[in-house]
Amino acid sequence: MTTQDTALDLAESAHLRWRQYAVLGGRIGLAILFFIVWKIGAERAGPIYVADPVLVFQRIVTDTMSGELVRHVYVTLRLSIIGFAIGCFFGVVLPFVLRRMPRVTAAIEPYIMASVGVPKYALVPLFILWFGIDDAPKLWLIGLLVFYPVFIAVFAGIRNVDRRLVNMARVVGASESRISREVIWNSLLSFFFASLKIALPRAVSAAIIGEFLVGNEGLGYMIEYARQNFDTVGVFAGIVVATVIVLIINAALVRIDRHINAWRPVERDMQL
Amino acid sequence: MSTQTLLEVRDLSKRFASRESRDAALWVIKDLSFSVPDGEFLTIIGPSGSGKTTLLNMIAQIDTATGGEVRFKSEPPAPISDPKLLNPGLSCRIGYVTQEDNLLPWRTTLQNVLFPLTVQGRLNDETRARAQTLIRTVGLAGFENHYPHELSGGMRKRASLIRTLVYDPPVILMDEPFGALDAQTRAVLQEDLLRLWELGRKTIVFVTHDIAEAIALGDRTLVLSRAPAKVIGEHRISIPRPRDIRGIMSHPDFSALYQRIRAQVQ
Repeated sequence: MTTQDTALDLAESAHLRWRQYAVLGGRIGLAILFFIVWKIGAERAGPIYVADPVLVFQRIVTDTMSGELVRHVYVTLRLSIIGFAIGCFFGVVLPFVLRRMPRVTAAIEPYIMASVGVPKYALVPLFILWFGIDDAPKLWLIGLLVFYPVFIAVFAGIRNVDRRLVNMARVVGASESRISREVIWNSLLSFFFASLKIALPRAVSAAIIGEFLVGNEGLGYMIEYARQNFDTVGVFAGIVVATVIVLIINAALVRIDRHINAWRPVERDMQL
Repeated sequence: MSTQTLLEVRDLSKRFASRESRDAALWVIKDLSFSVPDGEFLTIIGPSGSGKTTLLNMIAQIDTATGGEVRFKSEPPAPISDPKLLNPGLSCRIGYVTQEDNLLPWRTTLQNVLFPLTVQGRLNDETRARAQTLIRTVGLAGFENHYPHELSGGMRKRASLIRTLVYDPPVILMDEPFGALDAQTRAVLQEDLLRLWELGRKTIVFVTHDIAEAIALGDRTLVLSRAPAKVIGEHRISIPRPRDIRGIMSHPDFSALYQRIRAQVQ
């Protein structure tokens, strides 16, 4: 690198840093604005409809101290993670299996695509009927909601793999399983991560909705219980905690994505 | 140089089904035959659209043939008409440097070069050292840990070239590997290629549409017709080696060869 390039780079990075500060300032400003609007809204609408943000945060703190909130969060997270793992596993493995069976794929593809349209939440009563009122119906719901975006993304990713890279790998003697693991998997990683950014928040949402309907534990149960007791502060506290959980999961995902996809020429984040 | 035939192509044909009707099916290649002795640098020249890439794809067995056969040494001809029986790369004995570099974007230069050895389970100290030597020879030292998108077009080309050389297949097919490069980079890479070839004397089938390149590199040049492609000319290039690529045009034999080939390439 020449000295001129370095000088340009320095000017560039100073400019970039200034822009970063501006963006950060804007974000903090928006957060403050959000709280002001919330506070005013709470005062206008009354405590039955919109809880005061200060009370909500006080509630979160006291419930965390008492261990009550921690227990509910644990229950919801455990359920989300297990359901996510099941849905994600089938969403990844099935397209790889179908890749080896083009005729079977052609036959069942329209059915799979049609089943995307079935509203999964509408199936919950059926799941309760079939699988009882323990974790099983909730896991089915979460699993299905995670399965579809992952399956569709991985399926499309496999179709999009550069044939020339696959041919190159074949010519140099790579086995089919090696090609799946190396060429195909790496090619579709960005598709996969994009689908995770949809599937992970969905898993938490599905767990909460499942808890509205069945059971006596978890964030969903906590929110619904508070509503039944006209405890609007409790409802808001549950919503805030659920939102924070999803945000933390997404932030972790973005970091992992960035680490794994470090080779990508352009930063193409789809942040939700 | 031994004169044993290493690769023989006989009556090779390829037809692409036409969209309109079966009768109007398009023959890209029809009854194409040639053979390549061990250690020869064969260049094949033809107008664009004459099925040169298709020809190499069939020899490398990543595409099926409609008819004809390809023989390696005295082995029985490979069943190249059946997509299920294709053996891409003929068990690592036919290397293929394609038009695009086809480097794996998530692997660094060194990892890309080592890729064939890795998948063949031949990665050891000796082959690693060989890879390092090749990287140094083509001037990629210092770029081992760069990703393909961080390399220039010429560097990517070099990386893809030595990725094939590193596992030492007896036959190497090259499909206009320097086509997309500027004249200067191209000349440097042609020199690199000739130097590497002088070291190992592999059998090379090099396809190009550039007559000067075909003469500068080859021992022999075949001229293909427009589709359906057939061999319509054969020229022995008697310019002695080692050759001076940049000065090749001033060699006394060059002009006559060029004119003769030019007359055949439509």
